[in-house]
Amino acid sequence: MKINNLTKEEVFRNLVTSENGLSEEEAKKRLSEFGPNEIKEAKKTSLSIRFFRQFTHFLAVLLWIGAGLAILSEYLHPGEGMLTLGLAIIGVIFINAVFTFIQEYRAEKSIEKLRLLLPFHVKAIREGKEKEIPAREVVPGDLIILSEGDKIPADSRLIRVTYLMVNNAPLTGESEPVPLQHEPCPGELIESKNIAFAGTTVVSGSGKAVVFAAGMRTEFGRIAHLTSAVETGLSPLQKEIVKATRIIAFLAAIMGVVFFFIGQIIGRSFWENFIFAVGIIVANVPEGLLPTVTLSLAMGSQRMAKKKALIKTLTSVETLGSVTVICTDKTGTLTQNKMEVKDIWTPDNKQSTVGILMKNAYLCNNAKFIEGQYKGDPTETALLKYARGNIGDVRAGRISEIPFDSERKRMTTVNMVDDKKFAFTKGALESVLPLCKYVLINDGKMPVDEELKGKIINAYHSLMDKGLRVLSFACSELQTPNSKLEEDMVFLGLIGLEDPPRPEVPEAIKKCHEAGIRIIMITGDGSRTAVAIAREIGLVKGNSTVIEGHDFIKMSDMELRKELAGKEIIFARMTPKHKMRVVSILKEEGERVAVTGDGVNDAPALKMADIGIAMGIAGTDVAKEAADMLLLDDNFATIVNAIEEGRAVYENIRKFISYIFSSNIPEIVPYLAYVLLKIPLPLTIMQILAVDLGTDMIPALALGAEKPTAGLMQQPPRDPKERLLNFKLLSRAYLFLGPIEAAAGLFGFFYVLNSGDWKWGEMLPTNNILYMQATTACLTAIIITQIGNVFACRSFRESVFSIGFFSNKLIFAGIAFEIALQLFIVYHPWGNEIFATSPIAAQIWLVLIPFALVLFAAEEARKLIVRGKK
Amino acid sequence: MYKKILAAVNEHLNSEIAARYALNLAKACGSKLYICFIAEKGMSGSNFEKAEEAMKRLFLDAEKMNIEAESITETGEPVEEINKIVRHEGIDITFASTRREDVERRFYAGTVARNLSLKLSCSTALVRAVHMGRIHPKDILIPLKARIAGMSERAYFTAKMAECFGSKVFIFHATTPITKFFHGEIHLTPAQWEKRLPEDISKFIDHMKKHKVEIEGRLLPGAAAKSITVEAAARRHDLIIMGASERSMLSSILKGNPVEEVLRETPCDLIILKPRHENQ
Repeated sequence: MKINNLTKEEVFRNLVTSENGLSEEEAKKRLSEFGPNEIKEAKKTSLSIRFFRQFTHFLAVLLWIGAGLAILSEYLHPGEGMLTLGLAIIGVIFINAVFTFIQEYRAEKSIEKLRLLLPFHVKAIREGKEKEIPAREVVPGDLIILSEGDKIPADSRLIRVTYLMVNNAPLTGESEPVPLQHEPCPGELIESKNIAFAGTTVVSGSGKAVVFAAGMRTEFGRIAHLTSAVETGLSPLQKEIVKATRIIAFLAAIMGVVFFFIGQIIGRSFWENFIFAVGIIVANVPEGLLPTVTLSLAMGSQRMAKKKALIKTLTSVETLGSVTVICTDKTGTLTQNKMEVKDIWTPDNKQSTVGILMKNAYLCNNAKFIEGQYKGDPTETALLKYARGNIGDVRAGRISEIPFDSERKRMTTVNMVDDKKFAFTKGALESVLPLCKYVLINDGKMPVDEELKGKIINAYHSLMDKGLRVLSFACSELQTPNSKLEEDMVFLGLIGLEDPPRPEVPEAIKKCHEAGIRIIMITGDGSRTAVAIAREIGLVKGNSTVIEGHDFIKMSDMELRKELAGKEIIFARMTPKHKMRVVSILKEEGERVAVTGDGVNDAPALKMADIGIAMGIAGTDVAKEAADMLLLDDNFATIVNAIEEGRAVYENIRKFISYIFSSNIPEIVPYLAYVLLKIPLPLTIMQILAVDLGTDMIPALALGAEKPTAGLMQQPPRDPKERLLNFKLLSRAYLFLGPIEAAAGLFGFFYVLNSGDWKWGEMLPTNNILYMQATTACLTAIIITQIGNVFACRSFRESVFSIGFFSNKLIFAGIAFEIALQLFIVYHPWGNEIFATSPIAAQIWLVLIPFALVLFAAEEARKLIVRGKK
Repeated sequence: MYKKILAAVNEHLNSEIAARYALNLAKACGSKLYICFIAEKGMSGSNFEKAEEAMKRLFLDAEKMNIEAESITETGEPVEEINKIVRHEGIDITFASTRREDVERRFYAGTVARNLSLKLSCSTALVRAVHMGRIHPKDILIPLKARIAGMSERAYFTAKMAECFGSKVFIFHATTPITKFFHGEIHLTPAQWEKRLPEDISKFIDHMKKHKVEIEGRLLPGAAAKSITVEAAARRHDLIIMGASERSMLSSILKGNPVEEVLRETPCDLIILKPRHENQ
């Protein structure tokens, strides 16, 4: 039993109120017990705590320890430059924290937008008197007065109505006004006609209602609760980065500790070993990775914006690429939302019957033709346009109207035509045909019999099978003042309207199928129309499963889960409130789900999905705020383009990870050589940071701008088990490209030392010019080989010459930056001061260039072998 | 199990709503219903009248439903007086409503509701009434922990509540996500979670089946309190019945307290049940 089932007296009794409303004292008491009638945001982690967390994860903690130890060693053992190192590591922690925070940050204003739909003041009856009270003070049991234009403040049971019509669009997505009543209604509260819901608006008429739920306990509050409380957690890329950084941090820590002890065993001093341990940790950690990923995602989002897909959270750029299922609306997304009449059917196929049918379509219509333009609902506009085209303008005054409502599925108008009063009805066949006693055939009225009924139904089905939205029409002459509306009507015929698919959609759907992405259509249309459209656009081919809204409600999760595992599935006669369940079950099954939506009540589903996509044109502000992406053109094809871009972004992230990780080896090997070969340290920690946070950054970003590889959308979605840092990628970087760079680095180092008078085993002071030049040569060798490497990393399999050596202009800009920065480090006094370098002769640069060429050639050879194998 | 049920009423509407749950349970169990009102010192005349009227309405409802009922009015400190009635009459379970202070105070420490659940020698059902439109709950959400204290009584209470309203019971367990250091959170499908269903929950389901209650279950990883309220809101459950918190103050401060959080955020009416044996 729900409040909609009760009589007025029972409502009063249940809520302990009366026709006189509550007393002020009681209202105050209830306000203190039930709380104010307001929409609140669910408790969330504050921005400051979210930012603070960026400093406390495993990698950050490891770096903090490193920085702490460096500062401590400066205190205990001054003059080794450890303070600079400590501060540099803290700088790295901050840079990473800021960039990761930028990735995750998103301004969330959906609750603010929801609040705007509620009124500030409301008319209520208290102590028998009408008063205007603040809407936030409305409590259960309050008697409120509703009149035209009012926003409804809380969920209320109507006890008296006078032609009350409300717009329930925020809750149902239906913009047609709904007539309400005060009599008890059976069935569910949410679908009841005697309930006025918070957030909806009175379109016309007036009424009186008793509030039974306020604030967050209203249906509107439920949407707010779900919109703000649902959290999707980390994006696939964020998860992968967490895993990758944990692996790296763990390896770095182990290596640091192990080599510290090896150093101790072989008799190096504590401080030498300590510097070494910190160095090995710094060398292992790709300090520039997180900033590069963030910037690359930002660039990806810029490219998507040019394709009319506006991304709100940076991580969503990559999440799009991993999508496995798209749940999409039909009208306006797959189709153009431009209705046009495609077919008409009359029982006798006679022109005179068609004429009356046209007259009905013209008069039983709320669209207008003003100043050469049609204005109104797309369906009504299409009917008016078609009727005008056939019979021209019709003059007939309208006396009254029973508006369309989704429950009755029909509308009726009463018009005066040639001094006679007629009722014209249009609507769904199942709603109109039972009102008809006759059928208009050969200008005469034939009684409806089973045969005629069968004929009409067959015609109806055959129009629906063409993908048309079919409306049926009937009229009756109201001969006496007592003639009843919508009774003994004459059936006139059917009109089939089409909302044509967007021309780009079939190709986009084909692309999705090739890319292994399932598309689930969720529409309010009937199943036959939905299937026909789905066939036309290539969404379904075989025997698809069609689930209608009323069956959907009855299905258990288990049953729904089984159906959703099917290949081709369509949900028909659905309302947006059902979307969230579909999304949540798909997600539980491990799918990565994108969902489209435009209404207020789509907001929870948009939040729940991995990617919520709101319509930029037709979408409400609430949906736009709740979504991760806005479609600026409301077009399905844009989603597919964005997915392709998302896949390219992931592929490019892997490319620059290969690039960044390759330089870890020439950063680590000098430390190993330092310990094992008893030589001066070939590369200082500051020089490592110069590579990781300086010279590598822009070329890595340029790799992030590589065009999608051909065939990217012919591959299935990425397996969730596939790691960002997999063995293939690591072995290519660590065992193939990295060692070449390490060889170049050590070659440069020894080349300079040997050109001086250095003898093997001789340790040089850190301010010795020869030593500084040698480390500068080692650093320069890494930079030069990284130039070869940036070309090598532009593809995993294809030759760089086949994808176009000059096709990514940013690569050249990146290299120019890299060289300029290195020139600053090597030749500018400030660069020398910060990075402990010393100018080297141009000849040293020249002897290092072949290493870059060797690296590039070796990689081209490897790709050739890989291509040959497949 | 529940031969004598006590409903504590005061001047507030939510206490009357709480008592209506007691009334329906009494009907389902064939119990005698005691409706008590404890007038605190200094209570205003109008508040006294309101409470008396509420008692009258409930008494009339009980009569209509053929439930044996008795009204008791006392003066004094509510917890103390109710405890006296419980001991004197041999009450099996007491229904009381939570107040705004229960929601506002951390761990509702020191509130009447908290004291009732701690000090009464019988089971307690603390009712948080928030939605007055769902008079007879059709869908009841039962969040369960892996280890269920007072299993048979909780099962009995749930079954009887479902029986009196003809409701469907929806069992929900928000489990800790499975994580590995190098792999992060591991995703399991509901079918895989099903295999990890805690033994106590299986037993609870068996109890429900014995009582012929229509049930559906769901096991999901996530933070308990948030998952419960999201589940209740998403599926439009009409009532949540959950066990009382067993967490100490310290552990509540450190790990949070799901009962407290659900109490604050519940989108529908909530009953927090403290089975009798826990007090013994």
